[in-house]
Amino acid sequence: MIVRAGFEAAYVSGGSIAYTKHGMPDIGLVSMNEVATAISLIAERNDVPLIVDADTGYGNALNVRRTVRLFEASGAAAVQLEDQTFPKRCGHLKGKTVVPTGEMVGKIKAACDARRSADTLIVARSDAIGVEGYAATIERAERYVEAGADVLFLEAPETEQQQRDMCARFKGRAPLIANMVEGGATPLRSATELEALGYGIVIFPGGLFRAYSFLATEYLAALKRDGSADAFRERTYDFKQLNQLLGTEAILADGTRYDAEHFR
Amino acid sequence: MSAQRNGYTPLKQQLRGPDIVVAPGCFDAFSAMMVARAGFSTAYVTGASIAYTRLGMPDIGLVSMNEVAQTVSLIAERVEIPLIVDGDTGYGNALNVRRTVRLFEASGAAAIQLEDQTFPKRCGHLKGKSVVPTGEMVGKIKAACDARRSSDFLVVARTDAIAVNGYDDAIERAERFVAAGADVLFIEAPESEQQQRDMCARFKGRAPLLANMVEGGATPLKNAKELQSLGYGLVIFPGGLFRAYSHMATEYFATLKRDGTTNAFRNRMYDFKQINELLETDKVLAQGGQYDAKNFS
Repeated sequence: MIVRAGFEAAYVSGGSIAYTKHGMPDIGLVSMNEVATAISLIAERNDVPLIVDADTGYGNALNVRRTVRLFEASGAAAVQLEDQTFPKRCGHLKGKTVVPTGEMVGKIKAACDARRSADTLIVARSDAIGVEGYAATIERAERYVEAGADVLFLEAPETEQQQRDMCARFKGRAPLIANMVEGGATPLRSATELEALGYGIVIFPGGLFRAYSFLATEYLAALKRDGSADAFRERTYDFKQLNQLLGTEAILADGTRYDAEHFR
Repeated sequence: MSAQRNGYTPLKQQLRGPDIVVAPGCFDAFSAMMVARAGFSTAYVTGASIAYTRLGMPDIGLVSMNEVAQTVSLIAERVEIPLIVDGDTGYGNALNVRRTVRLFEASGAAAIQLEDQTFPKRCGHLKGKSVVPTGEMVGKIKAACDARRSSDFLVVARTDAIAVNGYDDAIERAERFVAAGADVLFIEAPESEQQQRDMCARFKGRAPLLANMVEGGATPLKNAKELQSLGYGLVIFPGGLFRAYSHMATEYFATLKRDGTTNAFRNRMYDFKQINELLETDKVLAQGGQYDAKNFS
């Protein structure tokens, strides 16, 4: 659906995998292999580059090494690693803590060493602003870039001044990611505004799930009340539209190219 | 695993009750949670929506046994309501069926649905489906009944024969399937209300019938009450949630592409707090707190 709408990259959100596949909050319960399976299924069907949320790398530098190898092989174009303690929790929940800078530098080095292709990007995320303050976070970011991080993700800046400052500081060295979390700590802006501030990438990780969960509540309440989904008819695709969306005819036609009758 | 789950009536018992059992479709733990939250007592794990959401592919038999089992397992980890699981053709012959039943039952299914299409199957409402001979399907149903560990685990026999061989053949098949041990009958895509009444009356007291409400499909749409008065014991609404979701997703991404922000969608989105209420984040973290080291020093 993202590709269809004309976007040129997608962000594979650990939060939304936890929410949908597991029905659980984003508190570090999803395992490495479950995310790898999700990536692999996405990459089987789509050609768009995928930035994949790898949380903390699921352990120490050796775990990071496995994670990077596996996610890259599963089809990730970029792997995002964060400096929270393991198990992590959503950057916008209370009670998060970070590992020492040196430990995270080691993990970034391990990630850079582990990738098979230099085209696989390492996104270094710091959650330190909410824990140690802005200045300490910038020091961390400097170390992460020096260790080889290709992209910086400094989570939850509190002011526009911080946003401008961090973008200016790393300009030409590493693009910055802005994270738009509706109801989170960072003021919401449009892509154009973020570009003007100096950001190179913006992710909207949870929006689809938030709209979906809202819709699911309404849909199931209507079904429970009416014993049918009639009330929702104009807000759903019918069977034909659904199959157009999925490309059913093209796929079946493609399959017939291999029919036995062609190879007698 | 198919026995009692906390606080919910087993499916077998629900089917003996006076009211039709309404089972909305789900395809992951979250959708199943939402089904339970809305007050439904049973959920239907739909193979089609697993193909749509996980693979982004049509319902043409591409999802493997193990991928469905993993999905069932994640759902059963999170919800207690009984799950009727779409097992397509059982992914092969009677021996494959035996494996499928064992695996799905162990993964947390309360019932498995098996159909008499040739392998690989295709959605019952797509053109070009074909069915296996009656005897082959009877063997598969017997294999399913023999394979289950618990007699509370139900086998739903589905026939797609109406569209291929006509109504009479479908009824003959259904008779054989019940004789082979099927607990529930799913006679797909009846073409008239008369057929629906007739099939419900014929099997009354022997096996409850399942109605499949596919928006835009071959069967006339009715609500749960109307289906109950026709004689059905169970109705599934397998694809409705995905259809509404995909419709919304098109609009959502068009908005984000156009505006570079999700602002225009905000009145149709939960905020961060609401999401965490829905996922019971505080409760889950408090449960974790019970096991904190400080309680055991």
